[in-house]
Amino acid sequence: MGIRIALAGNPNCGKTTLFNALTGSNQFVGNWPGVTVEYKEGKYKSNKEVTIVDLPGIYSLSPYTLEEVVSRNYLIDQKPEAIINVIDGTNLERNLYLTTQVVELGIPVVIAINMMDVVEKNGDKINTAKLSEEIGVPVVEISALKNRGLKEIVDCAIKAAREADPQSPKHRFAGSVEHAFAHIEELCLHDMTDENVQRWYAIKLFERDEKIQEKLGLSQDVIAHINKDIESCEKELDDDAESIITGERYNYIGTIINGCVKKAAKGMTTSDKIDQVVTNRWLALPIFAIVMYLVYYISVTTVGGWATDWANDGVFGDGWHLFAIGTSAYTEDADEYAGNQLIVDGYDAYVEENGKKPTGDFEYPVEDEETLEVTYETASLEDYKEAKSYMDSTEEPDPADYGIWIPGVPVFVESALDAAHCNDVVKSLILDGIVAGVGAVLGFVPQILILFIFLAFLEACGYMARVAFIMDRIFRKFGLSGKSFIPMLIGTGCGIPGIMASRTIESDRDRKMTIMTTTFIPCGAKLPFIAMVAGAIFGGASWVAPSAYFLGIGAIIISGIMLKKTKLFAGDPAPFVMELPAYHWPTLGNVLRSMWERGWSFIKKAGTIILLSTIVIWFLTFFGMVDGSIQMLEEDQIDVSFLATVGKAFAWLFAPLGFGNWQATVASVTGLVAKENIVGTLGIIYGASGDVYATMAAAFTAASGFAFLAFNLLCAPCFAAMGAIKREMNNTKWFWTAIGYQCGFAWIVALICYQVGKVFTGEGFTFGTIFGIAGICLIVYGLVRKDKYNAK
Amino acid sequence: MGTAFVVLILVAMVAAIVRYMIKARKRGEHIGCGGDCGSCHGGCHK
Repeated sequence: MGIRIALAGNPNCGKTTLFNALTGSNQFVGNWPGVTVEYKEGKYKSNKEVTIVDLPGIYSLSPYTLEEVVSRNYLIDQKPEAIINVIDGTNLERNLYLTTQVVELGIPVVIAINMMDVVEKNGDKINTAKLSEEIGVPVVEISALKNRGLKEIVDCAIKAAREADPQSPKHRFAGSVEHAFAHIEELCLHDMTDENVQRWYAIKLFERDEKIQEKLGLSQDVIAHINKDIESCEKELDDDAESIITGERYNYIGTIINGCVKKAAKGMTTSDKIDQVVTNRWLALPIFAIVMYLVYYISVTTVGGWATDWANDGVFGDGWHLFAIGTSAYTEDADEYAGNQLIVDGYDAYVEENGKKPTGDFEYPVEDEETLEVTYETASLEDYKEAKSYMDSTEEPDPADYGIWIPGVPVFVESALDAAHCNDVVKSLILDGIVAGVGAVLGFVPQILILFIFLAFLEACGYMARVAFIMDRIFRKFGLSGKSFIPMLIGTGCGIPGIMASRTIESDRDRKMTIMTTTFIPCGAKLPFIAMVAGAIFGGASWVAPSAYFLGIGAIIISGIMLKKTKLFAGDPAPFVMELPAYHWPTLGNVLRSMWERGWSFIKKAGTIILLSTIVIWFLTFFGMVDGSIQMLEEDQIDVSFLATVGKAFAWLFAPLGFGNWQATVASVTGLVAKENIVGTLGIIYGASGDVYATMAAAFTAASGFAFLAFNLLCAPCFAAMGAIKREMNNTKWFWTAIGYQCGFAWIVALICYQVGKVFTGEGFTFGTIFGIAGICLIVYGLVRKDKYNAK
Repeated sequence: MGTAFVVLILVAMVAAIVRYMIKARKRGEHIGCGGDCGSCHGGCHK
């Protein structure tokens, strides 16, 4: 028969790390509460008959939070064969509070003291034999991160499960409390055969736990009778029942700690010293801003930018030289060849235009590769002669002559299709549709992976937990809870788990507000279009990508303040308790695993939903009604395509935002399927006119480009995230309120970015600027107006 | 002939993707989700 072993413990004590180590799973490990919202199961690697259950982290078995309800219900209803109570060895006192309750459940318990490596490093000593004796259950020292003691703890739990002889709790409460328990047991629990279970229920009834009263189906008479016993005890001990139990438990823990733990005398730890700076009242925010700026700068602009350039120009472009050997020599020769060709072409164009040869200097056009801007240069007849002689004597440089040349995917696919004598329509579908669309998305994989490495590192080392703490301090000033920031931290990977994490927020109003604003933070899927806008419209400026992150955070804070002042969301902020873990170097494996999980799902999406989307987008882009019949269009005809027709019908909506062209409109709409589609769609549409970045740079100004970025960052998320919003809201009206707010807010912010941005980018003050200023006034009014609901 | 062969591969590829997506949906997953399901363990699809 199978054995189920539950892992129970405080948040952030290493349960999920232990679970992953025991089962070989890749469950997400986070440094903040709420990472595990529901329990999850996995088979023990060394014995498939053993199922390990990871429960949400809890501080007690009282039903105050969702995690406590989930964990408690599992333990009392599902009754696992054994419990491994995971304890953070660096903080025994607080962790043992849960232990005193777990051992009362009537289920065999073994204690795993985790993080023993840190305990030893700190010079502390724990007498585990004595601890085991005091609590009455086996105690094993482990380090889940370093794979130490894992076999021993599971063997111990299996043994306890097989023996099925639960420990009797050694802790006894004060006489009057025990007396009350006895009365309660006799009154309504005497049918239970297990004395331990009887005792646990008696304690909960003593604490006036309504959920347990309800579960046992107690009548009002019985409850009134129990209350009399409790009140008499409360009178005697001069405290309320719950505080009596808590106080007694901590007294008991105090005696255990005194007898079993020896703390090394020491001053401030390294973590404390770092925290003095990192969480400093004045320095915390600037440090956070610098850290995130660096993360995005390195991921998108420098290292990530170089890697993505290689992916876009090489793998999904013409090709690349292996190890870049020969690239510089080839580029030099190719530039020289192109320069001479321009002069010769300019001369020929002059002759064709004027019907005669130039007698002196002549002008020839030069198109900027990045902006498509055409400028005119002057060449003399001497220049022409030199250029002509060069062209006659030189062949166009072949990259293969300069090193080992690996053709890019489009080149390779095109030559394969040519070899197969493929029809032009199918060839266009594959090259202009699938390869251009999916390639545009996959080209950003290097940037995505680098960003995910940084985020995984910041999460695992403990910094992101500090960010939640810093944000709580700021949020609380505006009547918001820092608990709302946790889903946003999780949402940097993907908005859906972020939306899910809002379940841990007890206040229904705060929870709904968090769901509405979580997706403002740029998720992994939004990074490609952020990078695309930065690269194409802003010439790779380093401030663009970090600004998207700060715009997301700003939108969350502004929305939070504005919404909190409305009747729908008014109310006190939910309390937020979180422990700041000691800083530590994350293991390389954990960081890489986290990166790969997120990165792989991005690649998987590109190969499935994005690929299907590109087929549809290609059809709608390259087909249209011409002379009353559906025809395949030439590249210069796509302005009459089906997609253009649809885009033009909605483009007016975006005209005030500066991107009222059909291309940007349809990209924003297809982004609702998956945000990567924005890049895929623009890759197909602008790819049809030549170079994607160059065409895009020509289609947007700085102001309209940033407005495009702002709108797509803040508007409704992808359909999958919308589905999660609908499920979590569990109400159609609320769902549409959320989507409506996101789109409305995004529209106003984009309007401000464009209309006011125009003034600063030299486009001047126009009539539309007045509306931009009106948008600013509207937001400022929302921020500063009287808070009449919360004032009550 | 070449065109027919390429179209056949293309159709098979699309069919495989659609089948994968339908199967994933039946398993309670959603391919549109950006992953990191470790932190929601598929709860979002229930």
